[in-house]
Amino acid sequence: MESRILQLIAALRASGVRVSLAESAEAFSAVDLMGIQHREHFRLSLRSTLIKDVRDLPVFDKLFPLFFGNGEPPMMGGNPTDDMTPEEAQMFADALRQFAQSLRQRMQRLMNGEQLSREELEQLGQMVGLNQMDDLRYQEWMAQRMMRALAFPEVREALRELMEQLQQMGMSKERIEEIREQIQQNMQGLEQQIKQFAGERIAENLSEQPPSENMDNLMNRPFQALSDDEKKVLQREVKRLAAALRTRIALRQKRAKSGQLDPKATIRKNLKYQGVPMEIKYRDRIRKPKIVIICDISTSMRFCSELMLSFLFALQGQIRKTHAFAFINHLEYISDDFTGSDADEAVASVLWRMPSGHYNTDLGWSLNDFNNEYLDTLNGQTTLIIVGDGRNNYNDPRVDIFSLMARRAARTIWLNPEPPILWHGDSDMARYAPLCNNVLKVGNLRELVSAVDQLLST
Amino acid sequence: MNNPFESTGRVKQSLNTQKYIASDEIATIVFLAQKLGKPLLTEGPAGVGKTELAKAIAGATGRELIRLQCYEGLDESKALYEWEYSKQLLYTQLLRDKLNDTLGTAGSLAEAADRLANEEDVFFSSRFLLQRPLLKAILCDQPTVLLIDEIDRADAEFEAFLLEVLSDFQVSVPELGTLTAKHRPFVVLTSNNTRELSEALKRRCLYLFIDYPTLHEELAVVRLKVPDLSPKLAQQAVEFVQKLRNTDMRKSPSISETLDWANALVALNAKNLDKQTLEDTLSVLVKHEADLQKAKRQFLAPPPGRGKPDEFGRFSGN
Repeated sequence: MESRILQLIAALRASGVRVSLAESAEAFSAVDLMGIQHREHFRLSLRSTLIKDVRDLPVFDKLFPLFFGNGEPPMMGGNPTDDMTPEEAQMFADALRQFAQSLRQRMQRLMNGEQLSREELEQLGQMVGLNQMDDLRYQEWMAQRMMRALAFPEVREALRELMEQLQQMGMSKERIEEIREQIQQNMQGLEQQIKQFAGERIAENLSEQPPSENMDNLMNRPFQALSDDEKKVLQREVKRLAAALRTRIALRQKRAKSGQLDPKATIRKNLKYQGVPMEIKYRDRIRKPKIVIICDISTSMRFCSELMLSFLFALQGQIRKTHAFAFINHLEYISDDFTGSDADEAVASVLWRMPSGHYNTDLGWSLNDFNNEYLDTLNGQTTLIIVGDGRNNYNDPRVDIFSLMARRAARTIWLNPEPPILWHGDSDMARYAPLCNNVLKVGNLRELVSAVDQLLST
Repeated sequence: MNNPFESTGRVKQSLNTQKYIASDEIATIVFLAQKLGKPLLTEGPAGVGKTELAKAIAGATGRELIRLQCYEGLDESKALYEWEYSKQLLYTQLLRDKLNDTLGTAGSLAEAADRLANEEDVFFSSRFLLQRPLLKAILCDQPTVLLIDEIDRADAEFEAFLLEVLSDFQVSVPELGTLTAKHRPFVVLTSNNTRELSEALKRRCLYLFIDYPTLHEELAVVRLKVPDLSPKLAQQAVEFVQKLRNTDMRKSPSISETLDWANALVALNAKNLDKQTLEDTLSVLVKHEADLQKAKRQFLAPPPGRGKPDEFGRFSGN
């Protein structure tokens, strides 16, 4: 039983549910307490300890029956030949004789309502390659293939013929209907048995998958080397990381708060008590940063920018104000697009307005746009962040505007996926870099996380 | 009296006596939370009875319910404790003579300061400690039920702080030292899922998702809470609400709204869910203008039929 529970936990993890060690230990003590006699209690003990998110409930509900059975064996209709009169049985045997040997055997078994044995299921599974499957979405398909291997479609066809034959031989309509229904039920029972088996096997394969090693690799993989699926996984991971980071930053900001006495605020507050200091005010030591972020969303930089934006908007509570801009060949104000929390959708909607062409990135022109319209967003409390590779396609880099912006902002940070050795060719990075307080290399998610952490820690 | 929470069946029963109809699922998880001594995190749509559950648990166990309502900007001084500064000041003023007596006889300034220091405890005793819900739950002589309501509304800072308190139920007040709970309170946290809670917090809790009830459960709740409503009308009303929940709405009616509606029907002395009654009372159930229009179009548009009892009374035999 214990190993079965561990398998379930492993399968949950492989399906993307985060189950910590503490939680699995908790699950075991819950099961100890509730016992395993009562199936529903057992299920709830596991569920309430392992699953902590509504979105993960369906995953659990799907996996649990695969590991711990449905409770009851599939319904079988019974054996229609049991209550046949001798004449009817004779008719039946005659009608059956017309089919080929193999088909006849299949039919015979169906009539008798026999279930498939474990070995037979095992064999079928092998035939259709069930042992390589580790994704539950294939359960239905695998079951279909196993049924095909059992010649289900042919059997169905044969059944219809058999019924016609019986009718011609003069069996009564109701009797035929009864027999047909029983056989139908037997077939459904088999179908269920096969489906259950396919699901169980896939879930077991799933639980043998090495967990999380995957995620570590992904976090260290450069953005350019990610497939679309992997990007989706990372998008999700960013949300989780942002939540974790938020707690950490929140704690940091809270701890820093017990600062000095704020005499001005205290005097103001206590004017109503005729200056007797009844209420004391303290100064907040940490000032939450104001951020202006300018993101390159051309094809090469797009994913990096998306992740960075996801981060910033997930950290909304720890930041006073964020103005976000995106550019390819000109600049757009995109803060308004972030009504929800999905940066990928927001960026997609921006991209729709601003389709990316080939080699048309122009930071210089975009800086000019910024200079004309949005320069007042920068002041002594703002942190200016640029996300981009600094490749300008030999356009004018407008270093003059950039140095003006850097002077106005309290801090200027550049996040660039390229290391300094690559700053040549059409890269103007070498000219921008001296104007920044900080140039951080952000080539993968891990570097991005530490960059954001650094950004909010000072 | 024996423990009302000794088995899941008993949990269900005793919650029932508090007019709370618990499904097997709720009863089992509550039982588990109590046995394992873990906080219980309940999530679900607004108005399905998450807060009510905590009240029922308190009622059933005979414990005091201490409620901490979370909101944006809630901080330690509102949740844990605060020095009652004005009271301290008042005491110093009133005790001035006494202080003068004590300090007056002192030979030197240093001696006076020493004597004052000896009396310091008077001014930083629990007498001047204003207990907020969390500290109250920790210091209470009797076991309590601590309800932390709508934790998702509090800031992430507060959540992080709460984590420390929930893990070992002790707080340190610098002037008094560490205060440890005499009895671990039964903690119930509720969340409407308006934001993601931190994983660390979730990890420490048992998770209970309460969804909208089934027709059967909801009918039982209505019958229990609004006994004046005739069984037939209750059946019709609940069926209508269930139907309403299946339509795409901005805000689906919750149980509490069903109960309000049931009460409204009683107050209006309604005999049947006819078109007129529906039109008059629908706004109790549906709170968005757009939803209201939609519901009216859907359920009131074909003038005859829909509201007739034979349409709704179909299952009244059960």
